[in-house]
Amino acid sequence: MAAGVLFACAALMPPGAKRLLADQSDRTHQIGSKLKCMCSGCDQAAGKCYHVGGAYSGPCDTAKTMLKEIDTHIARGMTDEQVLKAMIQEYGPLAYVEPPKSGFGLLAWLMPILYLLGGTALVIVVMKRWRKRPVAVVATSSANGVRVSPELLARAREQAQRETEE
Amino acid sequence: MDVFGSFALILAFVCALYAFVGGIAAIITRHPLLIKSARQAGIAVCGLIFTATLSLVYLFFTDNYSVAYVVSHSNRDLSTFFKIAALWSGQEGSLLFWSFLLAVYVVSVLLTYRNKNGELMPYVGVILAGVQLFFLTISNFVASPFKALGVANAAGSFDLVARADGNGLNPVLQYPEMVIHPPNLYSGYTGFTIPFAFALAALLARYPGEKWIHLTRKWTMIAWCFQTVGILLGAHWAYAVLGWGGYWGWDPVENASLLPWLTGTAFLHSVMMQEKRGMMKVWNVWLVFLTFMLCILGTLLTRSGVVSSVHSFAQSSIGNWFVGFLLIILGVCLAAYFKNKDYLKSENQLDSLVSRESSFLFNNLVLLVACVAVLSGTLFPVFSEWFTGSRISVGAPFFNKVNIPLGLLLMFLTGVGPLLAWRKTSTESMKRNFRGPVMAGLLGGMIGFSLGVREMFALICFSLCVFVATTIVQEFYRGARVVKARSSASWIASCVDLTLRNTRRYGGYIVHLGMVMIFIGLAGQAFNKEVEKELPIGSTINIGKYELLLQSMDRKQEKNYVADRMIVEVMKDKKPVMMLYPERRNFPTNQESGTMVAIYSTLREDLYVVYAGMNPQNNLPTIHVFINPLVKWVWWGGMVVVMGTIVALVPNRAAVLVLARTEAPSATRELSGIRPAQLTLREGHD
Repeated sequence: MAAGVLFACAALMPPGAKRLLADQSDRTHQIGSKLKCMCSGCDQAAGKCYHVGGAYSGPCDTAKTMLKEIDTHIARGMTDEQVLKAMIQEYGPLAYVEPPKSGFGLLAWLMPILYLLGGTALVIVVMKRWRKRPVAVVATSSANGVRVSPELLARAREQAQRETEE
Repeated sequence: MDVFGSFALILAFVCALYAFVGGIAAIITRHPLLIKSARQAGIAVCGLIFTATLSLVYLFFTDNYSVAYVVSHSNRDLSTFFKIAALWSGQEGSLLFWSFLLAVYVVSVLLTYRNKNGELMPYVGVILAGVQLFFLTISNFVASPFKALGVANAAGSFDLVARADGNGLNPVLQYPEMVIHPPNLYSGYTGFTIPFAFALAALLARYPGEKWIHLTRKWTMIAWCFQTVGILLGAHWAYAVLGWGGYWGWDPVENASLLPWLTGTAFLHSVMMQEKRGMMKVWNVWLVFLTFMLCILGTLLTRSGVVSSVHSFAQSSIGNWFVGFLLIILGVCLAAYFKNKDYLKSENQLDSLVSRESSFLFNNLVLLVACVAVLSGTLFPVFSEWFTGSRISVGAPFFNKVNIPLGLLLMFLTGVGPLLAWRKTSTESMKRNFRGPVMAGLLGGMIGFSLGVREMFALICFSLCVFVATTIVQEFYRGARVVKARSSASWIASCVDLTLRNTRRYGGYIVHLGMVMIFIGLAGQAFNKEVEKELPIGSTINIGKYELLLQSMDRKQEKNYVADRMIVEVMKDKKPVMMLYPERRNFPTNQESGTMVAIYSTLREDLYVVYAGMNPQNNLPTIHVFINPLVKWVWWGGMVVVMGTIVALVPNRAAVLVLARTEAPSATRELSGIRPAQLTLREGHD
């Protein structure tokens, strides 16, 4: 199973990693992490956008502007939900960093589950089919009992060698 | 030299066309001379591609600014080292470089097997020539790297001109790793062409026996190794250069490199089912086909601009060509499969649900689900635009949520698989094999919990890593114990001996160990901390146990850029530890700038310091500091993975029988007075 998976990379990402940024609060960044940076250069979240080709390779200016807007909304006393709604209203549904769990976006979340369920069902069906297959037994009998043909013996030895070496 | 390179490239196209068409004719007629000439043409293609590539490198080295590609990607002040990297920094050059690496593989294959596998090689030659033909078509007629620089004149045509200097290389590419990351990744992508060619050739030729699968496996491992190194170097580059504190952002280009890696990994496991048990032949062939198609799809995704990507430096509109090529490959694979599917008749039979075979089936399932999930997530914005008219973003949080459970499941199977026997595992042996690792895994989890780890996935990950590491140690211990009992060698010598006797198995375990280390590093992300502050000179910033004092700032003029540096003293528990120099580089040639992160790295954690720029309003420098635990484990784990792969590629040190003289029984000697020469069999090694 080698190799496990690089793809789990960003895996184990910090849902609540501590951010103590100078000019933005934890709350700003938590809301910012649910919004996509609208710099059009990447699919990163606002506040985590360091895309190549931006103003410079470093924190993206667009993301910084978005975080400041969130700050302004918070200062007006809005709840997280209200801030998110206000930002989506301004930038459109594209500003969600991950697909919404409703409408067409729900499909994105369902697809991996369907793959896993479908794949597991397929593996189970395959295993059942392979289990049912009869084992071919080729042997010649003689008065002294069961005798194995030299060809079969050679094949069996080769198979045993193959299957035990690893 | 541009004309010379251009001529070499067109000649390569002609030779590839001959190798392809002549090769097909050779297969039909089976004329030995035709077979030989097609092979020679294949070798000539490679020589000509080498020539064209070297010509382009020469143009960069000699600052020839009459060639458009050189103007766009280099300048006089660029160091020679980075002029090599400029070769693949843009569309045209990277496609030529792709052809170059493919040519290295092709010439290796054609020369290595020139007198072997006579029935198979003409097919292999044709398939390889076909792939080369595609890339040469692009390089010659769509995106030529030798195109002369021209400016439009009043008559509506172009005047050839030469510029005094070039536009320079993208600053983010001016980093040493950028000189080795793309060649590795491209070597992975192009390397998967070889297993594809062998698999398709065997199917088309109905090549008898299982030899083709051994060849396919070997070349897949080589490509897989390069792909792994390429992905990890890319991750390290993103970490050390981009300054965002992470190394994997689920960017479409990153995802594209992961897709063939996942299917390649699946193949390297399922191929054992075919070698040992004659099972899953159809599945294996399609995994090889799929891996190659995903390489092409990846190129399509990153170059067509259908999905937005941070890798904006390599985009253009040649996507249609890749779509066409992908369709042709799919068509050929389907036709070959349906024509000869009886050739792939397998002896699929499962003796028990608790067996190595079952674990491989689930391993393949998880890898394929991960692959399809990453692919569909990457393409989902495009689908949503097609169906709803508006684009829905799929960013890193989505990929994390989907892939974390799958990754952990794979890590679990990594531990379970090797403990299960082929065919059937008895309850007794299961108890014997699992007792130690399961106890160790649980203990590891408990220790993690008692140390304050509360992130559920991180805790499960640590626990599984201990479980898998214990299974590996247990396997080495058991094998080495037998060797040691026979040879009385030390434990280390016994482990080495054991590994050399079965390089595939123990090399595989080393790869698993490397993956365990990578997963430990990944789990460390759950404990990242960061702080950003505008920091006047002489003031400090605290994070974790560290206190950072900004002593001063300076500016240094380099040949190709100006660097503004922070001079930061790092103190840990009030004691000075070291100095760090994060900098921002400004490149006057292309008016761009980039960061240079300063990292104090230990096995426990990285102190990652970024000079984030000067606030224009108050003229204060901004510092961004991260503490990223366990990151070093990822890079070291990567090195262990590569080491394991190399071990697995080494042929087994076969046990051979040698004749040796032994002492005769003393009684015989006494009786006859002559010591008879007695020959006995003793195990030895070649």
